Amino acid sequence: MAGLSFTPEIRGQFSAIARVRWQLFVNSLRTIRGRMEVVARGFVFFGFGMGALIGSIGLGFSAWYFVSSGRVDWLPLLLWPVFLFWQLFPVMASAFTENVDSSNLLRFPLTFPSYFMIRIAYGSLDPSTALGSLWLLGMVIGIACASPALFLCAAPVLLLFAIFNILLARMFFTWVERWLAQRKTREIFGVLFLFVVIGVQFIGPFIRHFGSRSQPAVSRVVAETLPVERLLPPGLAAQSIAHFLRAEYALAFGSIALLCAYTLAALWLLNLRLRAQYRGENLSEGVARSAAPAAKQEIQLGWNLPGVSGPVSAGLEKEIHYLSRSGPMLFTLLMPLVVLLIFRFSSGKTDSAGGLLGHASDLAFPVGAAYTLLILTNLVYNSFGADAAGIQFYFVSPVRFREILLGKNLTHSLVLVVEMMLVWAGACLLYRPPSFAVLLATISGVIFALVVNLTAGNLFSVYTPKKVDLATLGRQRASQATVLASLGIQAVVLGLCAFAILVARAYHHIWLAAIIFIALAAVASAIYFLVLSRIDAIALQRREAMIAELCRA
Amino acid sequence: MSASATIAAPAISTEHLTRRFGDLVAVQDVNLRVAPGQFFGFLGPNGAGKSTTIKMLTGLLAPSSGRMQILGVDLTQDSVEVKRQIGVVPEGMALFGRLSGSEYLNFVGRMYGLDRSTAAKRSAELLDFMQLVDQPKALVTDYSHGMQKKLALAAAVIHGPKILFLDEPFEGVDAIASNTLKSMLQNMIARGATIFLTSHVLEIVERLCSHVAIIHRGQLVAQGSLEQLRAGVEAQAAAALSAAGAPHQMGASAPAPGERLTLEQIFLRIVGGTRRADQELSWLG
Repeated sequence: MAGLSFTPEIRGQFSAIARVRWQLFVNSLRTIRGRMEVVARGFVFFGFGMGALIGSIGLGFSAWYFVSSGRVDWLPLLLWPVFLFWQLFPVMASAFTENVDSSNLLRFPLTFPSYFMIRIAYGSLDPSTALGSLWLLGMVIGIACASPALFLCAAPVLLLFAIFNILLARMFFTWVERWLAQRKTREIFGVLFLFVVIGVQFIGPFIRHFGSRSQPAVSRVVAETLPVERLLPPGLAAQSIAHFLRAEYALAFGSIALLCAYTLAALWLLNLRLRAQYRGENLSEGVARSAAPAAKQEIQLGWNLPGVSGPVSAGLEKEIHYLSRSGPMLFTLLMPLVVLLIFRFSSGKTDSAGGLLGHASDLAFPVGAAYTLLILTNLVYNSFGADAAGIQFYFVSPVRFREILLGKNLTHSLVLVVEMMLVWAGACLLYRPPSFAVLLATISGVIFALVVNLTAGNLFSVYTPKKVDLATLGRQRASQATVLASLGIQAVVLGLCAFAILVARAYHHIWLAAIIFIALAAVASAIYFLVLSRIDAIALQRREAMIAELCRA
Repeated sequence: MSASATIAAPAISTEHLTRRFGDLVAVQDVNLRVAPGQFFGFLGPNGAGKSTTIKMLTGLLAPSSGRMQILGVDLTQDSVEVKRQIGVVPEGMALFGRLSGSEYLNFVGRMYGLDRSTAAKRSAELLDFMQLVDQPKALVTDYSHGMQKKLALAAAVIHGPKILFLDEPFEGVDAIASNTLKSMLQNMIARGATIFLTSHVLEIVERLCSHVAIIHRGQLVAQGSLEQLRAGVEAQAAAALSAAGAPHQMGASAPAPGERLTLEQIFLRIVGGTRRADQELSWLG
């Protein structure tokens, strides 16, 4: 980052960018929708604020307890969750993560260091950075309360740890964005991910095979992984604080030096990506122009689904093409499996009864299914977001909006079916196959939840659309008002489903839940078709707002 | 819609068409009449109301008041029937960027109700005609601007519309592509279609269009065939000449004696667009 001197020109550019973003925000308040967004952001801010406050107090208290009771070696137990949240939340909760497009800044005479700083600043405004930083601040305060002398050591160490996390998250984001942008790299990435998922399956048998009978496998694994853990950034940060407390300064500075090395490595890798972007890298899927004279265009028949009208079939085909070319969306669709994996290994146990769902492994399938519904939020509640200027076509063509939405809803249902099959396979592999009753209750519950979500999603897609880019990581977020409202709907629906399943489970009649869900789904379907019958009139009424939002540059 | 109504009715007609955006009246009391088979140019300076008018005529924008009829059918009463008869290249081109050209045309064709084999056949023909076949797998988002314009035009005609609305079809299009587009549009006119286009390239409008309307500050200030407009402006010029006594007082748009007025001169005369010579940006290198 040599060369980043804040000359008057650079200061002027930074202040111009800050001013234009502020002006954009002020201008957005001119519309009712803009004001709604601000209110929704207020709610989200409050929610995250509470999370930050409670987390800071909890982590601060824990840090105080560990230091004051002489258990300073336990600090990694606090830093690892912060680290994992910081890195995983932006990917797993894409509804709250936004990757602002700064490529349009490249036309201005920005130096690379300025561009780099702007990208870091944009990326640092996400919830994971804000929460992670505040949690670390809480820890610093907790440590300082327990040992005031340690404050001067803990504060810079945790600041360095925060910088490392910011750089690593940005680095991870930009590299994943790169890998997902093109089909070849996307396929390699997908295969690697599958290897990881399959590889994880061998951990349990491996430990059982090689573990000593007298020593529990878990203790053995922990004992063997502890030295490795101490060489990783959260362990290094914790160890350096512990070494300072014990006046082992050489070891402390050694740990800090290694943490600095990790930070520099993240910076270097991020630098590689951002420099490529700065040089005008185009991650399109365009194919090289053929030197041979153009052949005649082949006739390619569109899809034909039995029992479905031509426009609905065409709509479904178009949506599937869009999804199949969206690396970030395909990546997001794998997240339910990741959640099952996290639950599976969250307690460190590796046998079939391990993990957060250890005592209720038949709930793995419903939990995975519920998470699947959550990750479909961005798609279902913002159906027109990826169409961008294509929305104009729907208004100038003779096709009815109910057919367009039917095509989109069919696609989303199809994606859900595929996801459910994946989750079922994951649940079978990681836990045990769900019983028939649980399977039936979950499927009927998902049908009810799907119909409710599609109904609400169709309305939100028309009332609060937001242009998104399915090809770029972090640009799939629906409007904040939509996200908040959809989460409220999801909470009610999933809460209802969970309550019904738990009650039925308590009475050992899971099939009772299935009957309740089927009845609820019938009511929801009636409302769905009612909304669909009126959607043309609503869309016509909302056309100007829709076109204005989706066609914006 | 009866057959007799279709034959007798103008292709496009508006009565007191008005559109307000808050306090701004973007289009005011516009009464347009375009006969079937006309190649109609709709001109005006920036911000005059051209795009607003074309958006209203194609269903992208609701009018504040007034009536619009396309082929004798009221657009607000039976918009679906009207949309079956028209093709549109709107300002934003209405493309779906993550589809290939062939997929996009297939999709559009089927949305217009074509069966899948017809849609596929016409898509292939159009891609051939528009010379877009050398990158069959390229996505629309990776097309150049000119290629996107050609694709948008191909999509607008895939269902064989009776009326074609084109908003700035030649903007950003190279000479080769422009020739392709022009020949296609002239063929459509020869086969009886009506074309309504807006353009800032007055030479192209002059060469293609038989009839022209000019909108200025939201109001229709001229409408008719090119000859009618020319005659009107020349008559005004003659009157002004005799009143002022010197041709230089009419400004740069005045024709030399005996010279035919170009469309640009007609346009400038009607909208009064001249810039003062001293309005220079002295700091420009």
